[in-house]
Amino acid sequence: MGLNWRLALRNLTRNTRRTLLTGMVISLSTAALVVTDAFILGFMDTTVRSATRMYSGDAQMHHRDFLDERDEAFIIANPDHHLDQLAAAAQVANATPRVLAFGMISSAADNRAVQVTGIDPEREAAVSKIREAMTAGDYLTEAGDDTQILLGERLADLLEVGLGDRLVVSVNNQDDGGVDQQLFRVSGLFHFNARMLDENMVFVLLPKLQSMMAIEGVHEIAWIMHSASLASERDLPLWQALSTEDVTAQGWTTLIPQLASMLELTGASMAVIGGILFILAGLSVTNGIFMSIYERTWEIGVLLAIGTRRRSIFRLILTETFLLAIGAIALGLLLGFGLTIWLAAVGIDYGNMEISGVSLAEVIRPVVDSRQYQLYPFWVLLLTLVAATYPALHAARIVPARALQKSL
Amino acid sequence: MTAVIKTHQLSRHYGRGDTLVKALDAVDMTIEPGEFTAIVGPSGSGKSTLLQLMGGLDVPTLGEVWLANKAISAMSGRELSDFRRDHIGFIFQAYNLIPVLTAAENCEYIMLLQGVPEAERKHRVQDMLAKVGLSGKENRRPGELSGGQQQRVAVARAMVSQPDLILADEPTANLDSHTGKDLLDMMHDLNRNDGMTFVFSTHDPMIMERANRLISLRDGRVEEDDRRVR
Repeated sequence: MGLNWRLALRNLTRNTRRTLLTGMVISLSTAALVVTDAFILGFMDTTVRSATRMYSGDAQMHHRDFLDERDEAFIIANPDHHLDQLAAAAQVANATPRVLAFGMISSAADNRAVQVTGIDPEREAAVSKIREAMTAGDYLTEAGDDTQILLGERLADLLEVGLGDRLVVSVNNQDDGGVDQQLFRVSGLFHFNARMLDENMVFVLLPKLQSMMAIEGVHEIAWIMHSASLASERDLPLWQALSTEDVTAQGWTTLIPQLASMLELTGASMAVIGGILFILAGLSVTNGIFMSIYERTWEIGVLLAIGTRRRSIFRLILTETFLLAIGAIALGLLLGFGLTIWLAAVGIDYGNMEISGVSLAEVIRPVVDSRQYQLYPFWVLLLTLVAATYPALHAARIVPARALQKSL
Repeated sequence: MTAVIKTHQLSRHYGRGDTLVKALDAVDMTIEPGEFTAIVGPSGSGKSTLLQLMGGLDVPTLGEVWLANKAISAMSGRELSDFRRDHIGFIFQAYNLIPVLTAAENCEYIMLLQGVPEAERKHRVQDMLAKVGLSGKENRRPGELSGGQQQRVAVARAMVSQPDLILADEPTANLDSHTGKDLLDMMHDLNRNDGMTFVFSTHDPMIMERANRLISLRDGRVEEDDRRVR
């Protein structure tokens, strides 16, 4: 190691308390950035998964006017063709057709307005988490009775029904404009831990609902992608490829724009948090380096007196800061990594909090990402060096005669 | 013979108006190579200020300093740094060694600035520390050395870069008389044997005894310039 590096390193050991305190600011800022970013990634992941993978899917296909009008008459007339297209698309993992009806469900005790969803049980299980969310009874089977109905535990409580109890479901018949009522028996209960799903949705067999509504097509085809992040791309070519004159395919960012905006805002808030941390850490570093310079002003005067160029003094201060920052950042990354792993293991439970209409049904688990260990250390190092520039310039401008006043 | 240092109407004033203090007032002086000069005078007479200005550590209010026939005011900051590094050695009253460097490293540092190759640096450091009687103490830090030993390191540091001139500010002030005498004898030998030029600012009679030129300052002006032949 060269004498300049040795000098810089030893200067850091001169006042270990101050070095530790300044280093700790850098370490904690680094750790805070890493953990905050990991938390926000975990939060976004949980929110998006709560919004997509639980029920709705990464993307959906509807009749062009269905989402705007919410008119049950706007159907996808040839779902098999689109399901074949989706099966052939390399980016798509699984797809499922759905029939959606806005109806009433009545028990002996009460009645409620609900969304009745007709599903293909096997296909649906490969897209949403209904089967995993079952808490009692059986999941729907095509081979079973067509009066099977699944409802949320919470809705069952409101209707005061249990497994095997009878319910009447009423939906609009698109053929005659009247209401079709059918008797169902509660075959299973589910619990998504999301009020929207647990209180307002029931699931029946798809052909049964088609028959009640007198339609042959479906209202929705939902699917999940092999890579969830692909679905967040608004201009993914797949959307265009799957859309036709009558049918439009959209990813979740278009389907749930308020959630996409909220997540963008979350990303921006990370930038704000990062900025505040950077400023606080930068001021602390500036202060620490200044104190170190004031403490050895005479010594810098000596170095200048014996012929050290001002630029070398500037470089010496930056070298000290660089060495301090490297050590502190390494510690900060270790601390951040440890905290992230621990938080990911225990999870952060937000209860059943709703964000932009999405219930956070899972605990948030911070996510380790390579960016946290590449980009942030680089920025912290850069900021630390920038913060040291002012005191380094001050040191380089010291007038030797004044610095040596006490000794010469 | 080219003067090592020449000053013309050299002045350094502090404050202004009623509070104006003339620390140095129109000093003309020439230091020739090989001189062993002592600048003497009571406290506040301007000794230290004169040394600072001679070494380019401070900027005069009026007048000029020529170092090896080059006006300091004509030098850029970098040129002045390089000049000090290559031509002037400083010895301070309070030793002023870098506390985190060992005795050898304190001496080596200036040669590092000069770009002296490592092998030569090590050789010259060993040589110089032996010359000042510090063989075996190369790896001690200043805090592990006595005052006298620290001042010897300071002398070694000042001389190891082979300067033309050494400016020493009361180098014996913090030493006991025995240590001070040893150190002075050593510097005197270097002056006589190697022709190194020394300029002291001092109150110490031992330095005055050995000096071949005594410059007395009072109130910032040269009161007497006594050249002696020894």
